[in-house]
Amino acid sequence: MNSNEILSECNKIFIDQLDNDAIVLKRETTANDVEEWDSLTHIQLVVAVEKQFKVRFTTAEIQGFKNVGEMCDTIEKKLSSK
Amino acid sequence: MKKGDTYKHQFKVTAEVYKGFINVFGDKNPMHTDEGFAKEKGFPSIVMHGNILNGFISYFIGECLPQKNVMIYSQSIDFKKPVFLNEELVLHAEIEDIFESVKSAEIKFYFENSANVKVAKGKVLIGTNL
Repeated sequence: MNSNEILSECNKIFIDQLDNDAIVLKRETTANDVEEWDSLTHIQLVVAVEKQFKVRFTTAEIQGFKNVGEMCDTIEKKLSSK
Repeated sequence: MKKGDTYKHQFKVTAEVYKGFINVFGDKNPMHTDEGFAKEKGFPSIVMHGNILNGFISYFIGECLPQKNVMIYSQSIDFKKPVFLNEELVLHAEIEDIFESVKSAEIKFYFENSANVKVAKGKVLIGTNL
């Protein structure tokens, strides 16, 4: 699964978790771009992403992501090293 | 807390709990308050509100876990069998998964009655110090 495919899967997760069909994630998307993405939904999003891809992030990784694209890149690396 | 940890806690749907639920939330649907109606629908007596069990989950998370720094992020429950007044239930809970990145734990649970029948099951996602 490449980073674009991961982004597409993440989009589905965000739509489901945030109950907003209009969400279109781009690599540069951040929490500031999505109204429903707040501190509480952030946790639910991370948990849903970790479960979907069967990967685990570290706290440092989560805090270091500058945008959705960086998260997808990290997921790709974790999947390829499995 | 770690993955695989298990907990048990006993609850009883007392008259105080039942009446308290009705007083607070006002759900007086005849299934919960009218013996004749409940029997007509095939139950031996009035059926307790399923969401009383959600209250028990709230108590368990807030009061029975080894730490008090907890917050419920999401909760789901499936009701399998009716629960009746004065029934004693045992809550079985297990830490199913840990998400260290966001300091969260997913707990799966079920309630069992005195006949060892599962009356409800569900999951709770909590935030906590892991």
